[in-house]
Amino acid sequence: MLAYAARRTGLGFVQVLAVAVLAFALVELLPGDAAVALAGDQPDPAAIERIRERMHLDQPALVRLADWIGGLVTGDLGASLVSGRPVADILGAALQPTLVLAVSTLVLLLPLSIGLGVAAARRRGRWPDRLITTATVGLYSVPEFALAVLLVSVFAIGLAWLPPTAVGVPSLLAEPLVLVLPLAVLLARPICSIARLVRAGMIEALGSEYVAHVRRAGVAERRVVFAHALPNALTPATAQIARTVDWLLGGVIVVESVFVIPGLGTALVDAVNARDLPVVQGIAVVFGVTTVAVNLLADLVAFRLAPRMEVAR
Amino acid sequence: MTAEPSQAEARGHPTDGEPSSAEKRRTRRAHSKPGALGFRHTRPRDPGPTRRTARRTAPPSADLIAILALLTVPLGLALVGPFLPDVGGDRTRPFDADAPWPGTDHLGASVLDGIFDGGWGIVVTAAAATLLAYLVGFPIGLAAAATRHRWIDEILMRPFDLLLAIPSLLLMLLLASIAPPTAWMLVLIVALVNLPDIARIVRAAALEVARRPAMEAMWLQGESKWHNGVYIGRSILPTVAADAGVRLVGAFYLVAAASFLGVGAGPEASDWAVMVDVNRGGIFLSPWGVVLPAALLVALSVGLNLLFDRLLSRRAAS
Repeated sequence: MLAYAARRTGLGFVQVLAVAVLAFALVELLPGDAAVALAGDQPDPAAIERIRERMHLDQPALVRLADWIGGLVTGDLGASLVSGRPVADILGAALQPTLVLAVSTLVLLLPLSIGLGVAAARRRGRWPDRLITTATVGLYSVPEFALAVLLVSVFAIGLAWLPPTAVGVPSLLAEPLVLVLPLAVLLARPICSIARLVRAGMIEALGSEYVAHVRRAGVAERRVVFAHALPNALTPATAQIARTVDWLLGGVIVVESVFVIPGLGTALVDAVNARDLPVVQGIAVVFGVTTVAVNLLADLVAFRLAPRMEVAR
Repeated sequence: MTAEPSQAEARGHPTDGEPSSAEKRRTRRAHSKPGALGFRHTRPRDPGPTRRTARRTAPPSADLIAILALLTVPLGLALVGPFLPDVGGDRTRPFDADAPWPGTDHLGASVLDGIFDGGWGIVVTAAAATLLAYLVGFPIGLAAAATRHRWIDEILMRPFDLLLAIPSLLLMLLLASIAPPTAWMLVLIVALVNLPDIARIVRAAALEVARRPAMEAMWLQGESKWHNGVYIGRSILPTVAADAGVRLVGAFYLVAAASFLGVGAGPEASDWAVMVDVNRGGIFLSPWGVVLPAALLVALSVGLNLLFDRLLSRRAAS
């Protein structure tokens, strides 16, 4: 376990480093003079000079790369080109709504998807299974914004049960009703993929030798399902849970835009549209590090659950 | 054979309905799988796939008709829509609730015009991006699997590991933040985002083929590399084609999300996703301007998912 954990953590560090270098490389990839490209449609010499000075574009690329990595370690991400605020401040202000969304999605995701998968597997071939299977296949890659808009028009406008956006809400936690529709949209895709995998794993586990043996030994069915079959059925799903964090981050970007939630996703889209590269770089690093960390955690958990099948790369 | 017993048989053991084909199947498996013991051991314990195929094949048309109906409307609108004449010639107020159904959009034009013209771009962009990703990813995965030099494999595949560490929508936003906004750029970006997955699947499928005895024999006979590559490429084509549907739906998702967020495509672009974005402000006054394009996108995505899943499970069953 320790050797595997050390090797896997090493790979994680390399990935984090690569994400940081890639974010840095964004500036280098800009066509032509970066300062001119960033200054916008009406290049004003003063603005170009200001950008060049603020991003230290007159220094060689390697020096700037070392500065950028050093800044990351100490938490200094530079300053926004638009507002001049430190990027770390912008991230700090936008972090809370995104964290609320992501954490509550993950908290709801596991019980719901595992419950659906187990329920479908236990009623295999009958109508609950067919219903769950069709729904999970169909909604697998539905665009979140389209789903969100449809839900808003039905539940917020047609029926007027729920607020349509989070405009004017001081904190997401203060108004839990605001969270209902965004969470439903965020959960749709991950639930589908994980429930399918749990269902497939459960069907395989329930048909296995050891479950037949446990049943013959007279163990109660509930215990057979949850204590014996489920842990083995979860191993393939663990990797997918990590993959859904990828979707979740993408979903957060879209959902925050639809429901006007001032989180990291909104900040990222605004920064991309304004070509505010320091902010884009900072958010990219935060998202990239999160993804790498979650993948690392999932691989370690999967290894712990079933050490025999090393999640090799 | 009368209808009654054949149906009963089909429910129980669909593959054993014809003894000759079952026999053939068994011998073929015995050839391809030397460890037939393990196979025989697990086979009776897993009636899952057989029963499911029985259910799927017994009422064959009901599912399919529903799926096709779901797909016909959005695909038809996307492909035929641009050739239909404009409906409302004169523009009225934006988000006019009194205008003939389905109301007007943010510029005061009829929503129907946008619906007719807006599907084409998304469908074509997604299809072009998928095609481009395969044109690049297929040779890369094939070369990585077919080569006997490990370092070539590493050089070709390692960069994709790093790309996969970045969320796909984030990667797309990053690329869009520095690329000039044109329709072709969106195709390029979506293709690049899909590239790692495609190269990996091609490589995995090709590795399996490359280890076959037939390949060993071809190496020993001194066949040219080109010949070997063509053999592998032809062998993995069914596997790769089965995966292509999933990639197309994924590309469709990315294109729609990018259009909605206003990145990639130029500001003059107008498709269903852009319609949802620009008409959001008037959702209380003229909801159809948002609901219609969103519903079309959802129907297209759900329909494609169900269709490709059906094709996949058919393939797995046969």
